[in-house]
Amino acid sequence: MTPINISLLLFMIGLYGVISKNNLIKKIIGLAIINASVVLFFIAIGYREGGLAPIMSSEAVDSANIIFVNPIPQALMLTAIVVSISLTAVALALVVKIYSKYKTLDVQKLYEE
Amino acid sequence: MKKYYYIVLLIIMTILIIGSIRPEYGNPRNLDYINYYLEHGVQDTGAINLVASIYLDYRAYDTLIETVVLFMAVIGVTFILSKGK
Amino acid sequence: MKNSRIIRTLAQKLLPFIFLFGCYLTLHGHLSPGGGFQGGVVIATAIILLTLSYGIKETENRFKEKDLSFMEKLAILAFIFLGLLGIFFGYPFLKNFLPLGQRGCIASAGLMIPLNLIISIKVAAGITGIFYALVKYRGEI
Repeated sequence: MTPINISLLLFMIGLYGVISKNNLIKKIIGLAIINASVVLFFIAIGYREGGLAPIMSSEAVDSANIIFVNPIPQALMLTAIVVSISLTAVALALVVKIYSKYKTLDVQKLYEE
Repeated sequence: MKKYYYIVLLIIMTILIIGSIRPEYGNPRNLDYINYYLEHGVQDTGAINLVASIYLDYRAYDTLIETVVLFMAVIGVTFILSKGK
Repeated sequence: MKNSRIIRTLAQKLLPFIFLFGCYLTLHGHLSPGGGFQGGVVIATAIILLTLSYGIKETENRFKEKDLSFMEKLAILAFIFLGLLGIFFGYPFLKNFLPLGQRGCIASAGLMIPLNLIISIKVAAGITGIFYALVKYRGEI
């Protein structure tokens, strides 16, 4: 069970939450879980056997035969985390507006209005 | 109708999880572009943190656009929850 | 939520250390894991803790909304201005043209330290602005 399999399992759990729950807040939580699983997948791809974190401290450079993990997906995932924050914020603002107008958060009742 | 969703989702989930077991978890394929950042990263910028040197020196343009994305989120939330007249 | 004495005392004692930790993460962004985004979020967490323990009116007296939005817009313009400063000296846009110091010190890596500070101010002001807008909504349609 490598982290690539676990990230797919998290994606399925989040997708189950978005599709099958009736409350709007639980759907938004499922969306945040999907974002987290994609971040985990990208970082797990760049792993090398026996590698260290890509920080060139003085004791890491002095000894020979040092392997570093891939630093590029980690720099790309910073942007992905900020996109996840902004998506959750705007979705929660819309849910606050919906609740103040219709006084309910149930999706089946909102379909009838 | 909702049981139909559950069963289809569970079948797709098990097929994809079993089909995604990869034997090459720790060995990436091509190492050329990784080796360039690991060798020349400290002497081009002066930073020890290679991740910071990637997103603040080699690709600083992406960081600029990404602060604009966060600004858009603040504009969106403030506009949706404002007291309209 | 507002009248709990334990939370108020604990928040009063803990807030300077949370703010100091956020500044430490920002300033050592090129020496250890951290940087602008992480430090900005920790500073915004300090202001949210202040709101949870003292109420929104007291917090608004100290950190006004007008000042926060002004700092946010100023941070984006300062980022673009630092990029254009390289053009005046003959380098491309957003190139690291300040002198690279000795590796391992805080005063190294050229343009990365001012960019870290600007990003941290921007993220802290942005997340606090989102939090204020969500808390102050009073049910008007």
